[in-house]
Order: sequence, then C-alpha cells, then structure tokens
Amino acid sequence: MLTVYFWLFSLIAVLCGFSLLTARHPISAAVSLIGVMLAISGIYGLLDAPFLGIAQILVYAGAIMMLVVFVIMVLNSAKDRTTPRGSSYSWIGLPLGALMSIVIIAGVGRSAEALTADPDAVQGTAQNIGRSLFTFSGDAATGWYVLFEVVGLVLLAAMVGAVVLAKRSLSSIEADEPAEGAH
Amino acid sequence: MIDPINVQILAAILFGLGIAVVLTRRNIFFTLMGIELLLNAVNLSFVGFSRTFPADAGSITGIVAPLFVIAIAAAEACVGLAMVISLVRGRNTLDTDAYAGMRE
Repeated sequence: MLTVYFWLFSLIAVLCGFSLLTARHPISAAVSLIGVMLAISGIYGLLDAPFLGIAQILVYAGAIMMLVVFVIMVLNSAKDRTTPRGSSYSWIGLPLGALMSIVIIAGVGRSAEALTADPDAVQGTAQNIGRSLFTFSGDAATGWYVLFEVVGLVLLAAMVGAVVLAKRSLSSIEADEPAEGAH
Repeated sequence: MIDPINVQILAAILFGLGIAVVLTRRNIFFTLMGIELLLNAVNLSFVGFSRTFPADAGSITGIVAPLFVIAIAAAEACVGLAMVISLVRGRNTLDTDAYAGMRE
C-alpha cells in the first residue's frame, strides 16, 4: 500500500515538474511548483519524516510560494505574453538537464544493492529532531545548535537586505526625495 | 517499505527538471522557481538516504539538514524576489536577456 502511494506521489511530482517546465504564465508555473512540493511532503510522510513534511508544507508551499505568487501579481507579470519560453540557444538546457538526471541515476544505480531500507532508521518526529537540534552534549550532533543560531542571523540579514532593496526602488520613484547613490 | 533507490531516482529526475527550467526558461520567475525545485530535489535525496542508515549511525542528520536547507531557501527567496522587484521597476521587463548588461 505504501508503494502505491509512493508511485502516486512520484507521478504527481514529475508531471507537475514537466508542467513547470512548459508553463506559459508564471502563475500556472507557481501552482505546478506547489503541486511538486505537496507531493514531496507526502513522500516525506511515507519516509517516516512527518515533521519535515509539515515544515515543507508550511514554509515552502505556504510562505515561499505565497511570496512568489504575491510578487508575480504585484509586478502584473501574469499578463506578460512577450517574454518567450526560451531562445534558440537556451534550449541546450533541456538535454543538459536530461544528461544530469541520467548521470545521477547511473551513479546511484551502481550502488543499488547497497541501498537497502534500514528498519532501525530514526523516525523524523518533532521529538527526535528537537533533541538533535537543541542538546549541547551527549550522543546527538552538537554542531546543530550553533548552526541553528547562525541560521537565525542569516534570516535576519536576508530580511534587512530585502527591506533595503525595496526601499531604494521606492525612493527612486519619489522625485522630491534626493536619490541616494547612482541609479 | 519503499525501495530507497526509487526515492533517489525520483530526486534525480526532479533535479534534472530543475536544471532544465533554470537553463532554458527566460522569464526571471521561472529561473527562481527552478532553483526552488532543485533545492526540493536535494532535500528529497537527503531524506531518502537517511532511511538507509541505522539510528546510531547519525541518520537524523539526513532529516535535520533539509530543515536548514528550507530556512536558507526562505532567505534566498526573500532576497531574490526583492532583487527582482528592484530590477523590473527599473527596466520593466522580465526577460533575463535584458539584464545581460549587468556583467559589464
């Protein structure tokens, strides 16, 4: 039964991925990408990582894609019909992507016999993940705590950077305010 | 029980699709969304590999690392979309070829 769900989610993910590749409008591409992310979060649930699946839905399909759709609508680019899908030379990306897939599958397939599902693998529950993230000592990896704090700093820096970028574009619109820096 | 090699094959296919989207499409939003698809494929590969190790061999790492990838992806989307807004307000086009002069 688990395998049936896995193939179902895989089919949804790959079809939505192709839809992302061939979509005309950015909005339909964003919806396709949300479909990929929901399918992947379902596979996380099948792989005994339920917390990661929920974080995937909350952060990726919820926050990040909401931001992307919001910006697409702010820039009114859903009506954009002038930007072509690709140019004559950029279609080289299709065989390059296929080549990338084939090389990775061939490389992983060489060790297919060694890749067996371990029944003793850890469950990715919130309890196990929290214990691994927030314990200083013991058998858990101690480096995660510092990394967790650093990620907080990175998010703060990204927020400040986004505010600065948006502010400059606003001040260049207002003519009465002297422009800071060359535009 | 799901065969781990199938998870890796799915991750590789999604990664190839992401590469194709990033390299082929000329709309800025498609490039950004292709990068998100690449990150998702790598996360799936992490979780798939974490199922092949016993718990005392540190297989929780394969589940904690995608959490950090998700956090960094949020920061990347935040800054990337702010850059897209400030670029498009200046040039009023979404075609990435219009910004080829940025390298000069």
